[in-house]
Amino acid sequence: MFGVSVVVFLLMQLAPGDVATALLGPQATVAAKEALRHALGLDRPLPVQYGVWLTHAVRGDFGVSIATQEPVMDLVLPRFLNTLVLTFSSLLLAILIGYPVGIFAALRSQTVFDRGAMAVTLLLGSTPPYWLGLLLVLLFALRLHWLPVSGMYDIAGNGGLGDLLRHLILPAITTALGPAAIITRMVRASVRDALSRPHVRVARAKGLPRRRLLRRHVLRNALPPVITITGLQLGYLVGGALLTEVVFDWPGLGSLLYTSITARDLPVVQATTLLIGLCFVLANIVVDLINVLLDPRLQEG
Amino acid sequence: MTTHEPTRRNLLLTAGMAAAAGAIPGAARAADSGGTLIWGMPAETDILDPHATGGWDTYQITYQIFEGLVKEDLTKADVPTPPLVPGLATSWTISPDGTVYTFKLRPGVKFHDGTPFDAAAVKFNFERFWDESSPNFYQKAKSFCIAYTRWIRAFDVIDPMTVRVTLTSPNYQWLRQGLQSYGQPLMISPAAVKQYGNAGIALHPIGTGPFRFIQRDHGVKTVIERNPDYWGRKAKLDRVIFRPLQDPATRVNALQDGEIQMITTPPWDEIPRLVKQGFVLSTNKNVPYINFLYLNMKFKPMQDVRVRRAINMAIDREGIARDIYRGTGRAEYGMLSPGTDAYDPAFRSYKYDPDAAKKLLAEAGYPNGFKMVYQLPQYGTGEVVETWIQRNLKAIGVDAEMRKYEWVTYMGLWAKGMSADVGMNEIGWGMSTPAWINIVVSCSSWSPNGENSGWYCNKQVDELLDAALKEPDAVKMKALYQKANRLIMDDAAYVPYVDDMQPVLLAKTVKGFVNPPEDWFDLSTVWIG
Repeated sequence: MFGVSVVVFLLMQLAPGDVATALLGPQATVAAKEALRHALGLDRPLPVQYGVWLTHAVRGDFGVSIATQEPVMDLVLPRFLNTLVLTFSSLLLAILIGYPVGIFAALRSQTVFDRGAMAVTLLLGSTPPYWLGLLLVLLFALRLHWLPVSGMYDIAGNGGLGDLLRHLILPAITTALGPAAIITRMVRASVRDALSRPHVRVARAKGLPRRRLLRRHVLRNALPPVITITGLQLGYLVGGALLTEVVFDWPGLGSLLYTSITARDLPVVQATTLLIGLCFVLANIVVDLINVLLDPRLQEG
Repeated sequence: MTTHEPTRRNLLLTAGMAAAAGAIPGAARAADSGGTLIWGMPAETDILDPHATGGWDTYQITYQIFEGLVKEDLTKADVPTPPLVPGLATSWTISPDGTVYTFKLRPGVKFHDGTPFDAAAVKFNFERFWDESSPNFYQKAKSFCIAYTRWIRAFDVIDPMTVRVTLTSPNYQWLRQGLQSYGQPLMISPAAVKQYGNAGIALHPIGTGPFRFIQRDHGVKTVIERNPDYWGRKAKLDRVIFRPLQDPATRVNALQDGEIQMITTPPWDEIPRLVKQGFVLSTNKNVPYINFLYLNMKFKPMQDVRVRRAINMAIDREGIARDIYRGTGRAEYGMLSPGTDAYDPAFRSYKYDPDAAKKLLAEAGYPNGFKMVYQLPQYGTGEVVETWIQRNLKAIGVDAEMRKYEWVTYMGLWAKGMSADVGMNEIGWGMSTPAWINIVVSCSSWSPNGENSGWYCNKQVDELLDAALKEPDAVKMKALYQKANRLIMDDAAYVPYVDDMQPVLLAKTVKGFVNPPEDWFDLSTVWIG
């Protein structure tokens, strides 16, 4: 995490373009720009700026956004929650599609179903989410008027769970399809691999009922790589749902990162990137824990 | 200032409107009034403190909430420039030597928080954005308002309803300069500043205007509502919701689906289709905005005026206006933007003549043309116009290599001035005051003191521009600016090519919208019907 923070801090400093010019615009004088830079603390030496930032960050104080003058945490936390809503829904969808289809494809290996599933996943996995999202909007929002075009809630309305769910459907599907494709393939490969293991053949030969065979011997062995991949998808989704957030105007972390980078809003970029990094780390930890629980061989002593 | 990025719903809409109408308990909707306008904007605005912000996107909102002593009347479309009218000052006089402005303040006006507007409030505001010796001074405000405040020598309160500002030297464009989209001397409630602090105004923007601020959900929406206690003609809309939708495709989709009723900077090729579907296209030919190239006087070939003239002759301006802008822009031949008192729509400079251009180049010693670098900002929708220009130049033998930069990076390069290895760059800009041209062409506007990115300098031009600032007579002032315009185009250090008519697409239910000769709108004339 420390490494991430340093990299984030340095990268933003190296990015060309000056905050004062961006904020003050073309008619600012040199003196005015200097004054603004001083007011924002940007004229202090880099290590000092980093040190100050770090001491505040560990207490949860990420400073104030340069663009909006709101405390960064007030800006970032609601966005983070919005992204979590989208991310978890997408992941859930991806799992609900990926696991059964993958298992089925593995069990019905080399059949029409299997080949069909693999072709579809290849297609979906390579489709740009931006294009796919627009296509879904064209069909379900503009043609059929079943679903809204953008946003998280009805702009002129009063919110509510129903409103949220209606707005969630298209973005969640769009974001889910890529990970669903990856998960399907991973599950299929993993289950096929488990099926071909000697102990499974032995159990089959011994006449073990199919369901117990599946559950005890195949799936438990097939799961660890699948869980790992799923966890990585979660980490990726938190930051990588950017394109979906842009197309659907979903007010999440990805779109905040995009606008704050273009605005050179350093405090917000730093906080957001750190948060995404943190999610990745946490997701990996959770995944490792689950694998330990599943696989007795990983448990020590 | 930014460049523009080139750019069945009935069930949902009626439901939305019914909801909005029903929200006013018991009130029968009067004809010609009411409704909620939802505007899909191309970018999120920054802070709503008019003294301490510089974006014209932001001004779209703050214009509805705040007012200055003087205003531009944006309810008239068919005028060459927005008339200057009384705002929070009912009248003003200018001394014969042009340096003393005396404003009579409007009585009975209250800020949105109920506190009174008077000379003490004006004094507080002037101290905030100009007077460094005052405890109310806010450095950030001065940084943004510098174009207006650099002319001020003194501020005095004469009586509770009269104030006086003394300038350092006569400048008859000064009032207009206070109404452009950088930091503006609009009146903020002093009580609000005292209660929320200087930084707090961003979230509590309390002014005197026809709309007052309700809420802001950053990145999602900003909501304002009608101010029922407004001193002037009351707004008709109940509410306006500003919704940032950065992706142009999403903006268009949301308009078609009835989720929003208005978009600005629509993609050019979507306009005919949407008009066919029943949406209304609104434009204004006098919007103060021109797109132009800076030719770099430090780049060797550009130092020969024949080369610069050849480039001006090589660009097919009418073609760009016709085939790319498709009626939402006109060919431009001069460096004065439309929308000002000094603009002359009949002004012409170079005709499109690639053969004559090639001859000129050969005369200047470049019979086979030359190579150069063309710096430009990266647009999300592709660099259509720039590619056209590149093609025009190739036809006369000039090989322009496009170097694209992300917007903020580009701003930095542009403000720094071109280095000697760059041939030209570009910008789209303009103001409703002709004094804008000083920032772009004057010798004293070389980096870092201005945006004369091509290092152009002509002392004669500067003399004319200085005289124009000091000229109280409108006819003589226009003559001076036009003379300067002719000299600038004879020197050919700039290539203006097209202006922008600010196309706005509106749902059929939006009534009373006025697209004025300015880069923002007065929404108090609009209603949903």
